[in-house]
Amino acid sequence: MKLSRRIALILTLALIPIMVLWAALFFFAVEREVVDETDDALEEYAELIITRYNDGRVLPALNSGGKNIYTLTPISDEEARHIPREEYYDKEVYIPEHDDTEPARVLSTVFRDKEGRYLHLEVAMPTIEKDDLVATVLTWSVVLFGVLLIAVVVVSMLVFRGALRPLYALLKWLDGYKPGEGHQPVPNETNIKEFRRLNEAADSAVKRSEAMVESQKQFIANASHELQTPLAVIGNRVEHIIDHTSPNEEQLEELVKIQQSLRHSVRLNRTLLQLMRIDSGEVAESEDVDIVTLIRECVENCSEVYEAKAIECAMHLPEHFELRMNETLARTTVINLVKNAYVYSPAGGTVTITLDDRRLTVANAGDAALDSARVFDRFYTRTTREGSTGLGLAIVKAVADHYGFKVSYAFTNHRHTFTVEF
Amino acid sequence: MKILIVEDEPSLSELIEREVRSEGYVTECARDYITAETKIVGYNYDCILLDISLPGGSGLELLSKLREMGRRENVIIISARDSVDDRVAGLELGADDYLPKPFHMTELIARIRSVLRRGRTGGSLTIDIGNVSLDPSSRRVNIGDRSIELLKKEFDILLYFMQRPDHLVDKVVLAEAVWGDYADESDNFQFVYAQIKNLRRKLEAAGADIEIRSIYGFGYKLTLKAE
Repeated sequence: MKLSRRIALILTLALIPIMVLWAALFFFAVEREVVDETDDALEEYAELIITRYNDGRVLPALNSGGKNIYTLTPISDEEARHIPREEYYDKEVYIPEHDDTEPARVLSTVFRDKEGRYLHLEVAMPTIEKDDLVATVLTWSVVLFGVLLIAVVVVSMLVFRGALRPLYALLKWLDGYKPGEGHQPVPNETNIKEFRRLNEAADSAVKRSEAMVESQKQFIANASHELQTPLAVIGNRVEHIIDHTSPNEEQLEELVKIQQSLRHSVRLNRTLLQLMRIDSGEVAESEDVDIVTLIRECVENCSEVYEAKAIECAMHLPEHFELRMNETLARTTVINLVKNAYVYSPAGGTVTITLDDRRLTVANAGDAALDSARVFDRFYTRTTREGSTGLGLAIVKAVADHYGFKVSYAFTNHRHTFTVEF
Repeated sequence: MKILIVEDEPSLSELIEREVRSEGYVTECARDYITAETKIVGYNYDCILLDISLPGGSGLELLSKLREMGRRENVIIISARDSVDDRVAGLELGADDYLPKPFHMTELIARIRSVLRRGRTGGSLTIDIGNVSLDPSSRRVNIGDRSIELLKKEFDILLYFMQRPDHLVDKVVLAEAVWGDYADESDNFQFVYAQIKNLRRKLEAAGADIEIRSIYGFGYKLTLKAE
């Protein structure tokens, strides 16, 4: 759920009860005021009738078409004692004109005339108008508070979006960030303190992780570098034993095996160094390299070296295809792809190399798909093979990344297919 | 022939010294910049093996010092900093050769012989063993006074052996040296046997007095034919 939605939801949920309570209180206040007003009017009217009656003046006509109705009934002293002096209540009153009863507000009072007789006066006012008023008030309360609620939510959303723009800018920047590939500075064009601090924190976190990646790279490079001399020393000592101490056949065989393992370590080390150099962009200058020539040369060598596997190679190549890149890296890339195909192809299989439309595909038969997410990872190897460094495809990937090529792997029709899009 | 070994790594320095001495050269060692500088200023050498990263300074500085002094010593740079820039800088400063670490001692000896011979003969770089003479730059091989035709791989194999006479070469090493990265994952060396067979046949037919001998099941050695 987006933060803005969540805030809108919380705002709505919190405001609804408050608004409802607010509207209810407002409604009851208005209604009360209306009732008070009615009561005041009734009281005035009752006073008018009492005064006129006592003065012997003419009383307002009963049901004169006016809004108010009254009844004046003489009562005994006994009855007068039971009726409260003044009382307001709601009651259904018969309206002769409509020949029907209608809800009305009634003031019942008892007074004595000049002769000291008790009279019971009931003044009534139909409440239809009051109900109308109340209904109107209720409708408007609901409408107005509803509109207010929507307005509050919409405005806060707009304000929120506007205020959070630096956050979205930061998120966009974070999405685009790839560790170890250098970075654009964090956008920090806000003067809001919290966001400034957030941006600064992101910036320093990224710098720290960059520094860490860098020091790790440096470490691997240094370690590989430092290993070179001791490896060479071991190799040369073994060589010395072989050449100068006349070992017997068994000893010689062991020594040669030591040399082989050692060479593997040296190669691994050298490849790691190369990988590190490419990664850190230490690539010597570019020149125009004809990829087609490289492929032909590579296929020729592979066919020679893997002659025993009797692999056929189907090439679909243009006359020339020149790329501007470092020759050594171009060669390494082509060799690794083609050699892989030869090494992992079953004996008697066919390796297919196609180059067209700036796209090189190398395919060989295989039994099962490789883990396409990891196939270009360092030290991802399909089988433990003597001599395999597990870095060949990682180098291909590193070179591709350096020059902005795209490498991919697919397994279709029981063929491993590696593609480089230049 | 006096050779100065400027190398800070004791173990490597010792190995180089032993190997170079066994070839009949006189050696001196310097383990740091100051010692090396003192020796270079004070004595003359036929060849200097120069490491680039040294305690107290850079081998490249020593090299430029040598050139400033107008000295013509042969210098072979031996460096673990296998970067193109270093190589170019070294050669521009007048080094005769550049050998990236890690290297084989036989390789080093071959390079020393080569630069010393070049110094004497004034440019010719041929390697001569018995009646076989091989010129790496023109890729020509003469046996006696007859030139023989070798295919590319056959030539590469012969060159590799001639740089290491009397030295056991494992077939895997040979495959990697000649076929480079292509061969490092191969587990069948039929292609090596085939090339060796052809090369032997050609040497034999041309009357060479060197031969490539098989040593047990796994290696070869280039030797002068026994009389």
